[in-house]
Amino acid sequence: MGKSLLVSPSPHLHANVSTTSLMRDVIIALVPASIVSVLFYGWAALLVFALSIVSCVLVEWVITKYLMKKPSTVGDLSAVVTGLLLAMNLPATTPWWIILIGAIVAIGVAKMSFGGLGQNIFNPAITARVFLLISFPSYMTNWTATQGFISRPDAVSGATPLGVIKEAIGSGSTIPEYLAANNLTSVTFLQDMGASLGELSSIALLLGFVYLLVRKVVKAWIPVSIFATVILISGIFSLINPDIYTGPVFNIFTGGMVLGACFMATDYVTSPMSTLGGIIYGVGIGVIVMMIRYFGSYPEGMSFAILIMNCVVPLLNIWFHQKKYGRK
Amino acid sequence: MTKTIILTIVTLTALGLLLALVLYWVAKKFRVEEDPRIDEVEKALPGANCGGCGFAGCRAFADAAVKAENLDKQFCPVGGNDVMKNIASILGLEIKEKAPQVAVVRCNGTCEARPRINTYDGVQSCRVKASLYSGDTGCSFGCLGCGDCVAACQFGAIAMNPLTGLPVVDDSKCTACGACVKACPKNVIELRNKGPRSMRIFVSCINKDKGAVARKACSNACIGCSKCAKVCPHGAITVENNLAYIDFTKCKLCKKCVAECPTGAIHAVNFPVLPPKPAAKPAAPAAPVAKPEAPATKPAETEVKKEANNE
Amino acid sequence: MSKLTFSIGGIHPHDNKISCDCKIEALPLPSTVYVSMAQHLGAPAKPIVAAGDAVKVGQVIAEPGGFISAFVHSPVSGVVKAIAPRKDLAGNMVPHIEITVDGDEWAEGIDTTDTLITEIPEDKALILEKIKSCGVVGLGGATFPTHVKLNPAPGKVAECLILNGAECEPFLTSDYRIMVERPKEIVIGAAIMQKVLGCRCVIGIEENKPLAIELIRKAIAELGYANMTVAVLKKRYPQGGEKQLINAVLKREVASGCLPIDAGAVVQNVATSLAVYEAVQKNKPLVTNTMTITGDCLPVEKNHNYLFRIGTPLSFIIEQAGGIPEEAAKLISGGPMMGKAISNIDATTVKGSSSVLYLSEAATKRKAESACIRCGRCSDACPMGLEPFLLNRLHKAADLEGLEQNAVQDCIECGCCLYSCPANIPLLDNIRIAKGQVLGVIRARAAAAKAAAEAAK
Repeated sequence: MGKSLLVSPSPHLHANVSTTSLMRDVIIALVPASIVSVLFYGWAALLVFALSIVSCVLVEWVITKYLMKKPSTVGDLSAVVTGLLLAMNLPATTPWWIILIGAIVAIGVAKMSFGGLGQNIFNPAITARVFLLISFPSYMTNWTATQGFISRPDAVSGATPLGVIKEAIGSGSTIPEYLAANNLTSVTFLQDMGASLGELSSIALLLGFVYLLVRKVVKAWIPVSIFATVILISGIFSLINPDIYTGPVFNIFTGGMVLGACFMATDYVTSPMSTLGGIIYGVGIGVIVMMIRYFGSYPEGMSFAILIMNCVVPLLNIWFHQKKYGRK
Repeated sequence: MTKTIILTIVTLTALGLLLALVLYWVAKKFRVEEDPRIDEVEKALPGANCGGCGFAGCRAFADAAVKAENLDKQFCPVGGNDVMKNIASILGLEIKEKAPQVAVVRCNGTCEARPRINTYDGVQSCRVKASLYSGDTGCSFGCLGCGDCVAACQFGAIAMNPLTGLPVVDDSKCTACGACVKACPKNVIELRNKGPRSMRIFVSCINKDKGAVARKACSNACIGCSKCAKVCPHGAITVENNLAYIDFTKCKLCKKCVAECPTGAIHAVNFPVLPPKPAAKPAAPAAPVAKPEAPATKPAETEVKKEANNE
Repeated sequence: MSKLTFSIGGIHPHDNKISCDCKIEALPLPSTVYVSMAQHLGAPAKPIVAAGDAVKVGQVIAEPGGFISAFVHSPVSGVVKAIAPRKDLAGNMVPHIEITVDGDEWAEGIDTTDTLITEIPEDKALILEKIKSCGVVGLGGATFPTHVKLNPAPGKVAECLILNGAECEPFLTSDYRIMVERPKEIVIGAAIMQKVLGCRCVIGIEENKPLAIELIRKAIAELGYANMTVAVLKKRYPQGGEKQLINAVLKREVASGCLPIDAGAVVQNVATSLAVYEAVQKNKPLVTNTMTITGDCLPVEKNHNYLFRIGTPLSFIIEQAGGIPEEAAKLISGGPMMGKAISNIDATTVKGSSSVLYLSEAATKRKAESACIRCGRCSDACPMGLEPFLLNRLHKAADLEGLEQNAVQDCIECGCCLYSCPANIPLLDNIRIAKGQVLGVIRARAAAAKAAAEAAK
């Protein structure tokens, strides 16, 4: 026998999945939404995407190579995903140095300081977004429409729909009054407002999410429970008083709702393992986001809601387990 | 403004006093009376919490020592006789002195001596490998080379030698706690008396196969020829199941067996090296000192023997 | 009827039944056979022949070494050359009887013809005695002595005999071939076991074997067995696992730490059923079995299904089948999910040998391990509903209590966790060790409790 045969414990086959292939699927799922935002916001958006991805990968490479002195893990593409998600959380006008700071916070603080992929408690992209939002609020809410490749009808520069409504309600007017005063219907209102890159393309995001479901990369229970909670709460509130509480459709399609629910809340590392845990996690996010939107001082609460529920994940993992065979 | 400040100070002070009282009461109420000697004994121990003594940690050892009537059943391998004497004086007891010991790797199946016949592709753990099969060499007794002993050692006293694929014990760091002995699924590692100036002689093989089989699997194997047992003037060597074993309590370090062994399976370590190499080697890497010597003389020998076998 | 399957976990590997159309060929006799004394679960058998004795095919050469043990028969006629320890598949020393072959003379009373005997003996004790004396053991993998399994402890009643024709392991086709080529014998074997147990019988076959389903159904109809049905199962691994099959067919779960009989079920493999038929109807001891020679790097024409004499060295079979292919990186005895890697091709075949599988390096070499991303695929795949990532972590922390609480002892070692892990973490390797440790603790506790109870008396 000339050749040295391999010997290992069973099983001797492996499914054709790897961390890299899963991350690649997430990237593919984010492509439609990225294309939509680049079409609407033009070169500026493309630059934000490129800068964000490159700086995230670079930060991870530098940290693994020079600080941790371990083999680089950039090959698993998780830094690319973080970069992509971070870019989707930024306005197209974001200056380069803010993106770099965001990448350092996302990869350096939220991910690598915990020990790298799989060890972090908080979703890196959201941590970075919240950090930037609090540190540089003027840059992070500068929704000036940049020159896109296709023009949108009546592009308005200003805050996001959530922000505008919040301001209007804060100044004592009601939603119907605001819409009437600005000569808008509730449909055109959604289309017209400036939004951060990812928010604009809810449909494209949902399309990507369907791809992830088909590829069995993620399970639907977390987004579904978030959406269900949001619809339920906003439905009840808008029925009670439609003048100051926005309705379900508005709440699902504005802000970071779809992006957050489908791509950030479903992050493997920072979401619960069990089905029941996932549903509770989703409901928690839904409740918190609606509370912030209705009663908080920020117009948008998805990031905060996810971060808060991230803290609960370790407990959910201890409390809830899958049904075991032959046991109650 | 002033009112606020005064109010704050008053409230906080009151709160502090109240909590202090509660703490005081709790400390009084739930105080556990403990023999103060337990603390003393624990302080005298090395505090490594290695479990080498058989107790859960140093505190558990101290607790048992204080309660025990004599110290015959207790020994801290890390601290050795000095620490045990201290403890005995604290407790007013006597101890039996023990000879200092050291972990010894009884396998010399280097990569050259013991060719790999298949490639292990499972998790790098000797325990997993041992439960799967007899190993990736022809020898089903020897070291598996995945380094469970290295991982088990709290003192950094064992390292794998990448050239030989075998673990090497650093005499100066080894405390003879026995963690590696427990970790090794093949029982390759043994605790042996350290010997005067760390000089000791041992059979570096545990292969119980018949001579020819053992020899085929590994050129450094003990073939159970009994030559060493015959030559030993002190009756320290026994041969059982085709394997020689040197009783370290009887061995007088005369080195006669070392010269007699046809496969070089008997190792003498830390003996002063006579000329032509006058400078004494550092004592630390004990096993490798012997190893480089062995292959230097052996290949020629074994080749001759192989040819003889072929005929 | 809708297709059945188990409720928790499971994976869908490509079934790769390359050798499914290869007819069963009788393998030539080797010049020497080595009969292992430890080819069944339980105590090793004790040889009752000595070197120099002449033996015939089917003659008893070793008797059971305990209650859970089995008779061993000579697979060839010839002379016992030696009784000595020899390396098994994994390189461990096991006593073997070495027999030099000098012909093919069968012992008296064995019917070697192909005539189908449909009359089933009435006496249950006689049937059990025949199964026992012919050394029949479970051929589904565990090689548990069949007569013990067919004789439930007092107070336990079997409600259903489940015949396992799932063959959910990829690549393997030996069960499929016997179902296609000898359906009537299998069905009669099942009827014999039914008679002993006094219950109905369901034959579970996966949907990817339509011909077997058709032929077995036809055989049942022709023989007119009313209390026997075929259940079509979905293609899903590990459908053929005892607990999973019971769940699929009966929609029941075997409680943790209990045996299938506690859920009213007895599971037997189709190959065992064939062996029972031969033992009871033909007085033929278990000296032959069917084996698949296949692999992802083996051209179709080099695939085989062999009827081999138990004790034939693997090296002889490999040689007969055309040698080890150039691309093969790993040889496996059994299926690719639960089979054992062969480190010693000089090892001999045993009663439970079901294949020699050649896998290429691309298919089988383990990839570098990376960090756990907590994707939960392992717990989604685990058919026992365990959380392998958690067990792996507890094992690293040496937390035996935690491991027991999280049911590591329920692991069936099916390999779904390691198969589906994107980070290539050797979950099962570690869990298997942890399971062993926890089972040791449980056994020690039980022994201590027993001793305490004795002392109290």
